[in-house]
Amino acid sequence: MPARDPAGTAALERRYLRLLRCYPPSHREFHREEMLGVLLDTARPGQRTPGLGQTVNLAACGLAIRVRRIPGWLAADAGQDALAVVSLIAPAVVFILLALERGAMNAAVGARAPFWTLLPVLPSFGESVVVMIAWLAVVVLGLTGRRQTAAKIASISLTLALLALLLVLVVLIQQVHTFYFNTFPGELFQFLPFGDVPVVLASLAACSLALSPGPLRGLAIVGWRRACLMIAGLSAGFGFPALVQLADPAAPLGDLAFSLLGVLAIAVAVAVTRVRGPVGRRVAGLVATGLLPSLAVTELSGRRVVPAVFLVPNPLLVSLLAAVLVWPVAIVSWRGRAERRRRLAEPDLDFTVVYAEVYAEFQAFCARRRLPASSTRQLERAWDAWQAGRFRRGEISQWPFYGDNPFRPR
Amino acid sequence: MYIYDMKKRSMQEPTFLILTALAAGPQHGYGIINDAEQISGGAARLQTGTLYMALDRLSSARLVEPDREEVADGRLRRYYRLTDEGAALLGAETERRRASAAVAAQRLSVRLAGGTA
Repeated sequence: MPARDPAGTAALERRYLRLLRCYPPSHREFHREEMLGVLLDTARPGQRTPGLGQTVNLAACGLAIRVRRIPGWLAADAGQDALAVVSLIAPAVVFILLALERGAMNAAVGARAPFWTLLPVLPSFGESVVVMIAWLAVVVLGLTGRRQTAAKIASISLTLALLALLLVLVVLIQQVHTFYFNTFPGELFQFLPFGDVPVVLASLAACSLALSPGPLRGLAIVGWRRACLMIAGLSAGFGFPALVQLADPAAPLGDLAFSLLGVLAIAVAVAVTRVRGPVGRRVAGLVATGLLPSLAVTELSGRRVVPAVFLVPNPLLVSLLAAVLVWPVAIVSWRGRAERRRRLAEPDLDFTVVYAEVYAEFQAFCARRRLPASSTRQLERAWDAWQAGRFRRGEISQWPFYGDNPFRPR
Repeated sequence: MYIYDMKKRSMQEPTFLILTALAAGPQHGYGIINDAEQISGGAARLQTGTLYMALDRLSSARLVEPDREEVADGRLRRYYRLTDEGAALLGAETERRRASAAVAAQRLSVRLAGGTA
């Protein structure tokens, strides 16, 4: 290592340590000291700040490692519990949003037009009532333990809503150069009675019902009080525009200030869901996907539809993508659960034969720490805990994650 | 899974350089960077972030593993070594590259022979 002044080295070290925060905590715990050593060894004499290339490289690699660990993060037990909580709150939020939206539309129309002029649109009111009843059934069925039936109804409603959204997008893309929103053919929307379902939340509801232990498990995790708080917070956040319109039908909803307030309300609502611990973080992460359409922009000037529909993020397009992307995320979580079930069903290893030389010591460790050690999966965890203790005491040089574990599938 | 993926597609250059650097014996991070640069004839210099991202991936796939730790100038140095699986994979990759290089050399010689004729 080239000679350099101690003050400069200390400053450089401090900056490198700040950059290393891009890495996940578990990676930092194991590699921080040696990475810092390598970074300082490769620094130029007199260097006091990390170079631009190195900064970008460290940030990108830290982010890449974090992204690579997402499947494991989701497939952990907490991922499944988070899906169960989402299966409890998402259908209720969808139902409340549908009711709010219908109420807001009634208020907006009723404020400007006499009653008899509303008669032609009454059929679409009836259709939306059908959709609301369907989602109410999803909530009730989920809470009475009929998760699969609830998942089927939610999936049917979601599929219709996605098809409607897709059709709207296709027409928008075809006619984007010639139509304005206010002159868009009203007949089209009469054929799309299921288009007003919030598809991202509905997708979350349907996939969490289909792929998690269900709302009853979610209720056991968060309890009635917190569940009601979450539902109320999220409904207020996601239903912010409808609430504003209910209060004042003439409110300028297209205004940028209102859009920002809406996003803020949703962010607060997502923060409400953040129960302590890893389950809460995952629930907040899943529910935050509902924020994506609110962050997208369609109108740049006045009410004119932006011609380059793909260049500027379009809320409809973003909704569609987010609703579709929710499913692979949930499937990863579900596969983690399926894998754990499969392993629990496997015959346990005969440990006395496999690792006879350390059997007594390991058994004593499990007994001393009162660790359950009757299945292969429990033994895998206990082995890691034992090896971690040995690593801390300096008895072994391998970090447990990298070391051999006879109970871990390879 | 990683080994399966790597068998299907060719190994990335940083991975090849790291495994090659460790083939002769255990090395620490700074040693791997210098050795990789030397192996590539100065053409490739591994960045620290790239090195540790690769080491993290290779360790998860059990192609390399920590060997020992030393303290030099008050700093921790962790040495890494190639596992048997890593050596086998490096051998397969070397063979694949050698075969590709042989084909390239053969075709170039044909081209040169045609050009001079």
